[in-house]
Amino acid sequence: MSTGTYRQWVSRATPGCVVILLDRSDSMKLPWGATGGSLAAGAALAVNNILLDMCVKATIEVNAPVRHYFDVGVFSYGARITGPGGEGVESAFGGALAGRGLVPLPELAANPFAVRDEPSIDAMPVSVKMPVWVDPVHGYRTPMCQAVEVAGAHVFDWAAAHPDSFPPIIINITDGMVTDSPYQGATLQDWVKRLTAIETSDGPALFFNIFLSPTDAHEVVFPNTPAGLPLPGPELFALSSELPPTMVENARADGYDVRPGARGLAFNVGRSTLLRVLQIGTRVPDRSR
Amino acid sequence: MHAWQVVFSAPKHGNDPWEWEDGAAAAPEDPATGRGPRFAVADGATEGFGSARWAMRLVEGFVAADVELTERSLLGWARRAQDAWRHDPVLSGASGLELFKLDSVGSLATFLGCELELGPRPRWRAVALGDTVLFHVRGHRLVAQFPSIAADDFGTNPAGVPTAPTALPGALGRVDFAEGDLAAGDLLYLATDAFAHWAVREDGPALWSALAGLDHPERFRELVEDRRAAREMTNDDVTLMRISVAARRPDQLVVCV
Repeated sequence: MSTGTYRQWVSRATPGCVVILLDRSDSMKLPWGATGGSLAAGAALAVNNILLDMCVKATIEVNAPVRHYFDVGVFSYGARITGPGGEGVESAFGGALAGRGLVPLPELAANPFAVRDEPSIDAMPVSVKMPVWVDPVHGYRTPMCQAVEVAGAHVFDWAAAHPDSFPPIIINITDGMVTDSPYQGATLQDWVKRLTAIETSDGPALFFNIFLSPTDAHEVVFPNTPAGLPLPGPELFALSSELPPTMVENARADGYDVRPGARGLAFNVGRSTLLRVLQIGTRVPDRSR
Repeated sequence: MHAWQVVFSAPKHGNDPWEWEDGAAAAPEDPATGRGPRFAVADGATEGFGSARWAMRLVEGFVAADVELTERSLLGWARRAQDAWRHDPVLSGASGLELFKLDSVGSLATFLGCELELGPRPRWRAVALGDTVLFHVRGHRLVAQFPSIAADDFGTNPAGVPTAPTALPGALGRVDFAEGDLAAGDLLYLATDAFAHWAVREDGPALWSALAGLDHPERFRELVEDRRAAREMTNDDVTLMRISVAARRPDQLVVCV
């Protein structure tokens, strides 16, 4: 059970924090359903979509800066594309934001490294101009513990600086099993416990998991029990935070049958579900109009 | 009979005063047409684009335009407001992200407009779309609330005037009308939803006595901040227009600068 109230509204005085952990392991090269693209390409597209969503929501008026409603980080684990390369964890941002940890939303909005014609996330036969902050990459194994550690360091500092904000939201997008547990003597469960022990006055940090499936497997979204989930479903269920009430409302409004005790876990999801879950998981209390 | 208004406002906690996205406007009676004084308050959507401009355009248009309190006339007024908002010269400098939001999201504003008839049988007539609320108070007691929204029902009504032309006829189909008799000494309050929600819960002589005695913008902001801190009032832009109705004009005019 979560102990937070999760009621704090996002404003520039109390901005929110969203961290996405993006699996860039070798298996992300697999094709994703009938889309023709890889898991890595679909995940990057969804991440770019949710970053654009956040920028759009914070765009309020003409000739006015995008409002600083969030600090946002995207950390990849698996193949590294900067520094020495190889396997590891790094900021997934490209261009001017390369190497940056948490980035204020106005700075994010001003610094996509490209604007490209991208296919619709719903696999409709249309393409749209999309700002790009994150590119698809895959290779090596799945150092998820290290990713949680890196995210935790950033989140810890952020929570200390924003003690009255809505707690940090960390969303892990993966298609595989952790390969570095235990890491520095601690298991993945231990690392996640440390991460979710970080809190603001509004509650502990939230850790959500989205497990991608390259095939048209049965999707399970926001379950309230691990029963029936294939591996690594039960483990991810145990690691996932309970959805706060406002997110339960958002999920129900989006058509999901969310039961009491539902966790922030989506299992075997396809591309459009990935984006919907990201939208629900990053929407914190605000005014609907 | 005479009527005059004072407007109190407070932006969301954490925002600057210029980021207030409500709108409030008033116009005196028009001897040429015989139309009584008009008052209007609107609440622009936080997640919209250009919501402050939209809310202000609605209220200023309502008090100034030749619009009747009928659904048909209001539809024409809202169409003209949409056209002016969409072709606002300030948009010539819009960025790609801003134009994307203008086209894909636009804005929405709740609206409450009120006209007084101060002749032999004084009365108010009002139109509402959404949860901006009129409270009619006599002798520190609530006489009428329009629209009649229960405390538990605030936040559940998404009605408002949209900037999207295709959505307008459907939205205006939900407009409500009401009217009531007035007497010297009456007070009308037009309040956006956060304040109205709190007022519905706090309804009683103590509340209305306190609001009748508000005499400075800072006292109002202190009231709002205190209620927010006590988690009794949601952190939203807040607007309260107080309209006084009396047999004679006030002896003194107080201006806060």
